Amino acid sequence: MAMKLTTHQQEMLDGKLGDTKKFCMEKLVDFGEAIEAKEMVDLVLVLNCCPIYSNDRQNPETKKKLEMYDLGHSPLYDPIFAMKDAHVADDTGTQCGNDPYLAQFDKVEEKGYPWNFELPGKGSFKVDPEMVTGLKAGYDKLTEHGWLNWMSCQPQVNTCIPKMGEYCASSESSAAAYINTILGARTNRESPINTVYAAYTGCLPKYGTHLDENRAAKCIVELDDETRDNMQGAGDWAALGACLAEKAENRIMAVLNLPKKMGPTATKQIVSACSPGMNDPIMHLMGYTPESPTLEAAFKGKMPKNPERFTVTMDDVVEMFRHINNIAPAPGPERAKPVDIVIFGCPVATFEEVREVARLVKGRKVKPGVMLWVQTDTANYHMAHHYGDAQIIEEAGGKIFHQTCMCMNPVRHYPQGITIATDSFKYVKLGGGFGMAWIFGNPPALVNAAVTGVFTPSARWDYFAKPRHDRLASEKERPLYSQPFVD
Amino acid sequence: MDEKIVLTGIARSKGKAAGEAAVNRQRMGWAFNHVGNEDGIVLVPGADLQGKSIIGKVVVYPTVMGSTTGAISLYYKCTQSHHGPAAIICQKVHDIDISGAIAGGIPAIDALDQDPIVTIKTGDWVEIDAPKVGQKATVTITRKG
Repeated sequence: MAMKLTTHQQEMLDGKLGDTKKFCMEKLVDFGEAIEAKEMVDLVLVLNCCPIYSNDRQNPETKKKLEMYDLGHSPLYDPIFAMKDAHVADDTGTQCGNDPYLAQFDKVEEKGYPWNFELPGKGSFKVDPEMVTGLKAGYDKLTEHGWLNWMSCQPQVNTCIPKMGEYCASSESSAAAYINTILGARTNRESPINTVYAAYTGCLPKYGTHLDENRAAKCIVELDDETRDNMQGAGDWAALGACLAEKAENRIMAVLNLPKKMGPTATKQIVSACSPGMNDPIMHLMGYTPESPTLEAAFKGKMPKNPERFTVTMDDVVEMFRHINNIAPAPGPERAKPVDIVIFGCPVATFEEVREVARLVKGRKVKPGVMLWVQTDTANYHMAHHYGDAQIIEEAGGKIFHQTCMCMNPVRHYPQGITIATDSFKYVKLGGGFGMAWIFGNPPALVNAAVTGVFTPSARWDYFAKPRHDRLASEKERPLYSQPFVD
Repeated sequence: MDEKIVLTGIARSKGKAAGEAAVNRQRMGWAFNHVGNEDGIVLVPGADLQGKSIIGKVVVYPTVMGSTTGAISLYYKCTQSHHGPAAIICQKVHDIDISGAIAGGIPAIDALDQDPIVTIKTGDWVEIDAPKVGQKATVTITRKG
């Protein structure tokens, strides 16, 4: 065996620390050999997806439902659930938790949520109760095994925060990109097969973006000043992330001339472009990425004399909005496209995003027959209730919820032909092939769509959609830069 | 007369397999939103294979795109729903797909001596012999004359 193991890792492999650890170590060693790893790393965080437990997967009815709802991961847990000594490696400092999935457990029967709703004249959806029961059973088993109940795709923002230089195994791409880019800890976009085994052993072959040489920037992407000064709204940040990924053509990039202040929403939205837009879960956001105080550091000491350099302009961002809106284009008039569902929070909404929706919808009413959904994590869900934002959203006719990811995966089974509006590039990419139309916009325009039932481009969009020359000419007559834009 | 081309590459997941080639020139993944777990149909908008079944095919594509759930969905399609490919060939098999192919028990090959996207055509018959991970694998392509 080529991989060098520590005494503890060898003891796990030899079965001295129980059947489960031996089983999982064997799988990890197999993978390590395939990718020619030389050693393993100790993990502080494992993020994976909760299984749908079933004691009869081959029952034809159950099998059919599992094929509708399971991501494919659940059978991996079956041998572990059959072992009596299964417990995650929390005793050696590895915290393990899961992504959100089908539904909020305590509201499964309530209507108007992503797991149970009706769109008059268009159809309805209700998640299969057997699958929710199976998910809860899987969740309970994981809890017994020491998994933490965060059910969030962004635990690294507020729940389990790794520090610079620590190793993680995140099968959630957007979390992986945030962990590498913003926190300076190290993770691959990990295979959810490996994360099952890594949870019980606390270790993983060292490879990919664990290694310095695979974290190095290969090119530079620079924002022009107009772009730097005009990013506002989760849609903008997501589109900017998509532009960065596109410019760098699936290579790791160093990003220059970013705004001086980018909060958790901005950074989360930018880096979440990594799953739909690029394969390596790291960007060197100069001024933000801890391991990259200089360009030389971003290139890991190997910066070429003239690195490839690209520029992102507002025209690029506008073009990206058009591109995302054309992946599964919504029907209807250009300035009044009917919407059925408006969803915020992929990756799960920060408290800042929850509050923004509450502010925008306060005192207004969501149009009957339209869904306004705010998808967030457990911490922000309870904060929003504590501080009143949830009540504002609900009084307007919207819903806020946690433990749920609409694209993991109820959306596959939603009525065909409906239109969903979002500020998530990732959601449009994930759901673009399922037969629904998708609209991509910024929160103010999206809330307006929920209230009026139609998506109308904002004044800000109209301004930036003009060719640069016309837009700058119009500045002379009516300087928009000095005014707050009204979407 | 049939034309035969023999390529060599590196096995990232071992095994023997044979099947009709299905070539996708764009990056693709194996997650449920890219290839249906329940029917093996490619869903990716704009992909060369969109709307086509990959069941039992040797799927050829540049490298991965999209969700890490591609690993588990590949495993699921190969071992549970039996709607998976016979093998995968890439310019570079990404770690996500290596993991899915190993768990799914199908060969995964890359580092071929010719670009597989160019050399292999949809409809070719492809046989793979990949006895050991990290070692030489043989890909034999038969094209109907």
